[in-house]
Amino acid sequence: MLSVKDYDSGVENSWCPGCGNFGILASMKDALASMGIPPEKVLIISGIGQAAKTPHFIKSNFFHALHGRALPLATGAKIANHELAVLVNSGDGDCYGEGGNHFMHAVRRNIDITVLVHNNKVYGLTKGQPSPTSDEGMVTKIQSDGVISETFNPLSVALALGAGFVARSFSGKPEHLSRIIQEGIKHKGFSLIDILQPCVSFNHVNTFEWYKKRVYDLFEEGYLPDDFNRAMELSRVWGDKIPIGIIYKKDKPSYTDKIKTLQNGTLLSGEYLSEKIRRAIESL
Amino acid sequence: MSIDISVKIGGGAGQGIQTVGDILARVCLKYGLYLMAINDFESRIRGGHSFFQIRISDKPVNAPNHKINLLLALDKKSFDLHKKELVKGGLCLMEQNDASSDKNIIGIPFLELAKESGGKITSNIVAAGACLALLGAPFEIIRTVIAEGFASKGDDIIEKNLNAAKAGYYAAGKIPFKYAFRWKASKPKGILIDGSKALSLGALAGDCRFAAFYPMSPATGIMAHLAAVSNDFPLVVEQAEDEIAAVNMVIGASFAGARAMTATSGGGFCLMTEGLGLSAITETPIVIINAQRPGPATGMATRTAQADLLFVINASQDEFPRFVFAPGSPAEAFETTARAFHLSDKYQVPAIILADQYLNDSLFIADKALKAPGKIKKFIVGDKDLKNPAEYKRYLLTNSGVSPRALPCSGKALVMVSGNEHREDGHSSESIRTRIGMVDKRNAKAAKMLSEINPPEIYFPRSKILLAGWGSTKGAIREAVDMLRKEKISAGCVSFNDLWPFPAAAAKKAFLACEKFYMVEQNSTAQLGRLIREQTSLSYSGTVLKYDGRPFFPAEIADGIKKNMR
Repeated sequence: MLSVKDYDSGVENSWCPGCGNFGILASMKDALASMGIPPEKVLIISGIGQAAKTPHFIKSNFFHALHGRALPLATGAKIANHELAVLVNSGDGDCYGEGGNHFMHAVRRNIDITVLVHNNKVYGLTKGQPSPTSDEGMVTKIQSDGVISETFNPLSVALALGAGFVARSFSGKPEHLSRIIQEGIKHKGFSLIDILQPCVSFNHVNTFEWYKKRVYDLFEEGYLPDDFNRAMELSRVWGDKIPIGIIYKKDKPSYTDKIKTLQNGTLLSGEYLSEKIRRAIESL
Repeated sequence: MSIDISVKIGGGAGQGIQTVGDILARVCLKYGLYLMAINDFESRIRGGHSFFQIRISDKPVNAPNHKINLLLALDKKSFDLHKKELVKGGLCLMEQNDASSDKNIIGIPFLELAKESGGKITSNIVAAGACLALLGAPFEIIRTVIAEGFASKGDDIIEKNLNAAKAGYYAAGKIPFKYAFRWKASKPKGILIDGSKALSLGALAGDCRFAAFYPMSPATGIMAHLAAVSNDFPLVVEQAEDEIAAVNMVIGASFAGARAMTATSGGGFCLMTEGLGLSAITETPIVIINAQRPGPATGMATRTAQADLLFVINASQDEFPRFVFAPGSPAEAFETTARAFHLSDKYQVPAIILADQYLNDSLFIADKALKAPGKIKKFIVGDKDLKNPAEYKRYLLTNSGVSPRALPCSGKALVMVSGNEHREDGHSSESIRTRIGMVDKRNAKAAKMLSEINPPEIYFPRSKILLAGWGSTKGAIREAVDMLRKEKISAGCVSFNDLWPFPAAAAKKAFLACEKFYMVEQNSTAQLGRLIREQTSLSYSGTVLKYDGRPFFPAEIADGIKKNMR
């Protein structure tokens, strides 16, 4: 039996005390231990940002890469060895801002990875600028008259692009989050988990208490995530009540399921075909 | 008498210039002639002006000629644009209705003959037949090439095209042409190949398993060739959403253990530079082909250039070792690409190959056999190779700078990689000792990397003057040297394939042995000349630079050198 302790990396944590990231980290460890996936079988890819530091704090194989580029990097790793369990830790700026284009196309590819977006609706690492998910009107040092742009809605966007697993959770509900992460890992295909998370240093609007009052669990309501139109409607619910849980789930072949070359094993397991190359040259 | 004939086929995009060119090339190849051909086109799908220019000889040819013997003008514009290039006694073949009374013009009713034989669409085949008849080619060989070329389209299509070729052949058969020659059959002199195909085959020979790209001229052909064979090999080719995604996918795939590459042109390479740095700091091997075209920004999409040398040597912030190569022919492109995969893997560094539109889109007869290695040497460790896998450190400090590389999830060894500066175990660190240690570790690879670098190839080393160039211009520069030597000028040339780490000692030795050396490059500031000066303290005496987007002609290089010598 694995315990959460088996995932301790021994690296000193650098998040602010009280940061929502701690809840996400704990839920990840719990989910992996519950599923019996040992550290050496986990591959975590991350971009840049406070969220992207996560893999340093969880014993695993990892690649802490560039800002916004975790998804293409994870895509390449998954194609090279589609037997790997690949998780991505990203943030609202990393995934929906700098990496917005990659987000769209990773959803379209339906690459089988589980993407955890630590959504604190603000830029933490660069100290308090608004992110794509910041509420319209949010006042910051730079946007002193308030944020002008509309709020980015990752759930609606993912649904519109055909995502087969769209979920939202809250860092303040560790059991709920652990369960959603497990469901995301089990899902064959692109799994988006947008995780609401307070930023104690820079977001004084969407606080722990603010969320605590608003979130409600769809599962407890008996919601079935199998209707696209209902899911689309639900993805737009935001205000006094904020739904959390699996918004939509649909099984379909993932990217690597559709590539002929990969049906007899991973790219790594294929033989080097010197003779065949010689014939290709001769046929010119 | 030796044969050296150039035929230019000009017309609008979509008129079937490629098909005519391909038939001419295959006929010559099958008959044992040497040939090379360039493709000149605009960034459009229909209309405009394009041409295919083939040079046919009984001796090896590796550059285009500036003069033409026969012009096949599929439209009127082609005659107006290129009539000045015709040699004395040269002819222009064109549609009878468009033909003027110019004495060099032979009008043939291509369209009329096409309608009678294979249908309107075959008028370019009529023209090909006429062209080959003028050159004196036997019809039997044309029949064979057409039957092979249209084999996949069925007997009816073959028949129609054969009839069209025959109609053109007999319409032009009796016309006297000063440059017709006796066709003597012999064995093909090698395989017919363009740079794109050579690069893609080189990638296969280097055990490339994953390739990601975003379409960009003139690099797309490489990926098209790879994609075409991806079901026959353990290979996945993915069209990414942009070049940034492409390079990061390649890094991800390589990290997980698949040799991986991307191909782009200068603009796409600009977008990849942050990824290049990520490959460097994480010591993840990758191969990038930059098929150069004139820039900056969009520049000229379908033209050729050699102006990215100093850029790719220095691209990305901060400093790190890398390999940079620039093959001088398709055979070199094949070898160099396979070697780039090997060396990138061995030293865990990025390797960049500089190709260009001229190399990628031109047809050559490969001057040596392309041979894939029998097996691939791997540079990966697993638990069984490690004393204590649980203590594995991806960035273990070693004298060579190269650390044992394990793959993620392949055993007990945890592979931890960070684009932040990191400790030996891969966790981020900003400690002074760690930072200095890691920079020194990465730089330590350079010495051994240099020992892998081939010296430049020298043609007539004991000459008074040397022409120096790099990459695809090799063929044109060598021919220019031959021309100069015919005029009793003691000239040779130095051709660089391996450019970084720079082979400074070999370069210095070569240039110290001559009286003067001149830079011949397709950029406006003599980038290799500047690099040579930086690396050897030796300065060139003059330059022949061409940056109009068109490939070098040997004669213009020879003329440029003579001007320099005056």
